[in-house]
Amino acid sequence: MAEPKEPQQPPSPPPGPALPAAGPDDVSLLIDDRPVVVRKGTTVLQAAEQAGLLVPHYCYHAGLSIAGNCRMCLVEIEKAPKLQIGCATAAAQGMVVRTQTARVKSTREAIMEFLLINHPLDCPICDQAGECRLQQYEAAYGAGRSRFNEEKVHFPKRYDIGRNVVFDAERCIKCTRCVRFCDEVSKTHELALFDRGDHAIIGTFPGRPLDNPYSGNTVDICPVGALTWKPFRFRARVWFLRDVPSACAGCARGCSVNLATYNNRIHRITPRQNMQVNRFWICDAGRESHAPLSERPRLAGPRALAACKGGPQQEAAWEEALDRAAELLRETAKAHGSGALAGIVSARLSVEDLHLARKALSEAAGIPRLGVPPHVEGEDDHLLIRRDRTPNSKGAALAGPGAPHAGRVKEILEDVAAGRVRALVVVGEDPLGDGLIDAAALGRLDALIVIDWWKSPTAEAAHVALPSCGYGECEGVLVNFEGRAQRMRAALRPWAEAEPTWRILRELGRRFGLAGEYPTASAVFDEVAATVPAFAGLSHRALGGLGAVVKEA
Amino acid sequence: MPYEPLLLRNAGKPGSETIDAYLASGGYQGLRRVLKESTPEKMVEEVKASGLRGRGGAGFATGVKWGFLPKTRDKPRYLCINADESEPGTFKDRLLIEKDPHLVLEGIILSAYAIECRTAFFYIRGEFHQGCRVFQRAVDEAYAKGFLGKNILGSGYDLDLVLYRGAGAYICGEETALLESLEGKRGLPRIKPPFPAIVGLYGCPTIINNVETLANVTLIAERGAAWYATIGRPPKNTGPKLYCLSGHVKRPGVYEAPLGVPLMELIEERAGGLLRPDRPLKAVVPGGSSMRILPASKCDVLMDFDSLVAAGSMLGSAAVIVMDAGTCMVWALLSLARFYAHESCGQCTPCREGTGWFVKILERLEAGQGRPEDVDLLTDVANKVEGNTICPFGEAIAWPVQSYVKTFREEYEEHVRRKGCPLAATATVS
Repeated sequence: MAEPKEPQQPPSPPPGPALPAAGPDDVSLLIDDRPVVVRKGTTVLQAAEQAGLLVPHYCYHAGLSIAGNCRMCLVEIEKAPKLQIGCATAAAQGMVVRTQTARVKSTREAIMEFLLINHPLDCPICDQAGECRLQQYEAAYGAGRSRFNEEKVHFPKRYDIGRNVVFDAERCIKCTRCVRFCDEVSKTHELALFDRGDHAIIGTFPGRPLDNPYSGNTVDICPVGALTWKPFRFRARVWFLRDVPSACAGCARGCSVNLATYNNRIHRITPRQNMQVNRFWICDAGRESHAPLSERPRLAGPRALAACKGGPQQEAAWEEALDRAAELLRETAKAHGSGALAGIVSARLSVEDLHLARKALSEAAGIPRLGVPPHVEGEDDHLLIRRDRTPNSKGAALAGPGAPHAGRVKEILEDVAAGRVRALVVVGEDPLGDGLIDAAALGRLDALIVIDWWKSPTAEAAHVALPSCGYGECEGVLVNFEGRAQRMRAALRPWAEAEPTWRILRELGRRFGLAGEYPTASAVFDEVAATVPAFAGLSHRALGGLGAVVKEA
Repeated sequence: MPYEPLLLRNAGKPGSETIDAYLASGGYQGLRRVLKESTPEKMVEEVKASGLRGRGGAGFATGVKWGFLPKTRDKPRYLCINADESEPGTFKDRLLIEKDPHLVLEGIILSAYAIECRTAFFYIRGEFHQGCRVFQRAVDEAYAKGFLGKNILGSGYDLDLVLYRGAGAYICGEETALLESLEGKRGLPRIKPPFPAIVGLYGCPTIINNVETLANVTLIAERGAAWYATIGRPPKNTGPKLYCLSGHVKRPGVYEAPLGVPLMELIEERAGGLLRPDRPLKAVVPGGSSMRILPASKCDVLMDFDSLVAAGSMLGSAAVIVMDAGTCMVWALLSLARFYAHESCGQCTPCREGTGWFVKILERLEAGQGRPEDVDLLTDVANKVEGNTICPFGEAIAWPVQSYVKTFREEYEEHVRRKGCPLAATATVS
């Protein structure tokens, strides 16, 4: 029998860092001597990103197909004679990638020079300045000079390529992100590249402007100042803006957004990446959903009708107005029984607001019926927009007075018209303005208490009107149609004397013996989490930036 | 011994474009034999053995290219014929299409059979009005005689051929831009990989061959690979070749000679020598406008793939552009640069921006507004375009810029020094 052989020495590892082991669905490669393991099918650019290395790029966008046209992501790959574009090269087992060699750097300088030779360099008057990839990359990768001494190519400037999008063709670098967005995401196909060479220009087809429900995303993904959002043009320099992460309250999708504020005003809303909700996009309606805040007349402070019925509304102090509201409700209950009390509560309100509506109005004040009106428009589309335009239908069903139900609201308003309901509390809704009831019928009420952020027709008709915070002025949780709870954040100081709805309801409730302390929205939410099984284990902190899914039975 | 033309054997004879004339001269015999006696695999081997290299410009071995098709048969395979001949100085395919369409068509059917393709697309340059009419008639004749359509010559093999007219863009001669255009889209080159043999027309495996290449396949089928491989300079430069002579020669035109014919023989003997006795040869572009220029001192070269690479240029489309001493090399390059700036598809940054930049610098130089640094700037910009673009169009302009400036640097510097073109008054071209 042969003697057992001595275990052989393993061959000495090759110099330099070793490739890490990779599973069957993975590949391992070296990027700038950094070992990286990625899933098969990952591109070099994405692999570098996962390793914390930025490969600069213009045309690549994670939400769009690969175009490979800007050439900014050219990197060196061992054994390949030419530089390769990182965005279109699949990471392969054992690949050795270098992104910082002299050759790569000089090529980046060249690409920057090419991109800028026909660019107008009008940064001082460009809205993109401060968040422009040309500026960022020229500073980081450019040579800082140009050898171009010629007349630049001229193109149309400041032209309305769509209802809300302005196009400056001279700033455009033809990365075609906008074209691909319209082809692949909105699927509306308005944009295309026309003409050739350095006269190539993005454009629309005759009679078909860029006017789809998602057109604003082309502005977001435009890496330069070529596409700008008309309502935002020249409104603020972007470096003054503060982005506050929040959720859109425009429909039951609840897209993750950033509210960009300056001088206590929302100047624009942009999508915030959330792969579970809206990926990279939002709709134009959501983008402009801050407009009513400045367009509609606000309720500045609490208002109450003079004691004699029919007199004009007068400003009142908060305590006085709340006392008056409680007194009106009590008097009505005394005179006509608690069956003559009812409430209309909005599913646009947050979980915290709705929880306190239940606690204060139903439990403390003993209002037997609360109706939640649905707001439905059109159909669900292929991308984000939901026909259910209330952002918190699911929250209302789980933690509030119930899911939106047209029948119940109709019943209540019929009873108002018939005089069976004598006192009505309306929170965040405008049944008069929405045509659900007429002024005469509403006028028959002995008590109309309205909590809302603006002077809606219903609020104007109220015996007591209490000013609440508008969108972006208060925080709270919305639960979208898929059951994902997300936080809205306060980006602005409340207008004048406005208060968060939940706090107004707390104060009203206290006048009926509501016990809880409810110091903050977060504390209100903690009570929801403790009492409503669907929210068990959740908290504002736990929801974080991307939210969490509630447990539905 | 005078060379007996093979590719141009019929061209020029009366009625050469008709199927009757083609059949009378022994046409479609190769196809008949192959369909009867051979198999697709044997046909591929035959073409490999012939040493045939693509006549479109890159000179890649045709049989090897066919071999890149995936072995699976889950998708249809397509053959696209690149008849989008647009390289300045090149007009050989046009002659074949107009004068001997059935020689090309037979090669198409043979090649389609070899790669097991059932539908072939003939992508013809939009401006070839005459060629398009002639070729469509040839296709109709071939259908009528049973060379196209179902069950060709009783072999059980079916092939349909679709004639598709381009819209007149040079870039659509680039094979992936051709595919995009054929699919009805803007003619923009695709990112490679994947290569067309794997993902081509409509996402299916596709072979793209040049018109002249396919005409050569007819010859191989007629007389065999062994015979074919003796023509030219075996083993790597075999077969007959069409050379397009233009510029300052007495008899510009298409001439056939074996691969490896001396360049000066083409100029002096076939094209009748230089146009004007008082102006000696200055330079030659041997392979179409996108190839590097050869100064007169380097024109003692053989016209084949490998000899021209050794000489610092390429055979390309074998378009020989002859320039005599009256030619201004700044003007000549400007003329080319204007073409490439006009034809750049505008997709990728270096080519889109660089081509226009070349024109602007060269216009200034020619107009006497050049600066000393412009000469090196031209080369540097070309170096930054080369190798960094999606398709070979980048090289197609970078190589001429690099080689014209390097070869005739003194002339460029003189334009700067003298604030204008020293040859402006004598130039034969305008």
